[in-house]
Amino acid sequence: MSSSVAVIGDGDTVIGFKLAGIKEEYVVNNNEEAEHALNELIKDNLSIIIITEKIADNIREYINKRIGSSVLPMIIEIPDKSGSSEREVDPMSELIKRVIGVEMIK
Amino acid sequence: MAQDSIEGINPTRMELLNLKNREKLAVKGHSLLKEKRDALIMEFFDILDRVKGSREKTEEKLKEAYKALTYAQFIMGDLAVQKASFAVKESVDVKIESRSIMGVIVPVVDSQIESKTIATRGYGFSNTLSRLDEAAKKFEESIALIIELGEIEKTIYLLAAEIESTKRRVNALEHIMIPKIQNTVKSIEMRLQEMERETFVQLKMIKSSIEADS
Repeated sequence: MSSSVAVIGDGDTVIGFKLAGIKEEYVVNNNEEAEHALNELIKDNLSIIIITEKIADNIREYINKRIGSSVLPMIIEIPDKSGSSEREVDPMSELIKRVIGVEMIK
Repeated sequence: MAQDSIEGINPTRMELLNLKNREKLAVKGHSLLKEKRDALIMEFFDILDRVKGSREKTEEKLKEAYKALTYAQFIMGDLAVQKASFAVKESVDVKIESRSIMGVIVPVVDSQIESKTIATRGYGFSNTLSRLDEAAKKFEESIALIIELGEIEKTIYLLAAEIESTKRRVNALEHIMIPKIQNTVKSIEMRLQEMERETFVQLKMIKSSIEADS
């Protein structure tokens, strides 16, 4: 299955990825816009969506509701220009801890 | 909880046989699920080795890319960079296949990102600077890393969900279902023995009363 990649992010992030050749891009400034963009992309069967951490954090519930545990689309969170947001717990290592029962890497 | 037994079952031989079959099935299912869980966890560890450092590497690359972009914007101006970005041709194409790990479907992404030269990016030379080329190149490199990271993280999420549900099933069988069935079997056996003794005593009494009469 062939598919393309989309970006949801702030202006600068989007310009950067556009320079690299991604044409599906949404510049969003608030939560409604972000949800709308995500909705459109899911409707269009985009399989890889790159989203900035800040936006993803704001619409976390919506993302979980829409994606759940389905295989596609993949949503990849990346830090924006101001660097990665410092989270109290890294969701990945939290998950690993829950599954394995012991603290692992990272 | 361990003393629980299944309610509403008549203490008959028929039920006893059924229950014994159910117990056999439950034990078999339990050991199979346990094997599945162990295999999944092994796969999980394999993937964990791959994710190690992958996120850091991606974030590092992205940081460089943002820096290069900021430089380009600083020297050329925001508008010029934006204009150039509109001219870039779409070039990111991914193929998504899936593979199955112990019944869990996970995506396998084959990303085809053409590495472009300055000439093939699409924007003109006259209004752009080499800083822009550098930024574009950095972003191209980070996209490849991001896609790989996404694939690994998605796999981890899917595997984790499967491991959790398998674990829950194993535990439910081990700690609730199997003891419950065993308790019920035991209580039915006891009832049946009790009934046997009762009939035996009754027979004895009838026999002795007949003998006393004659």
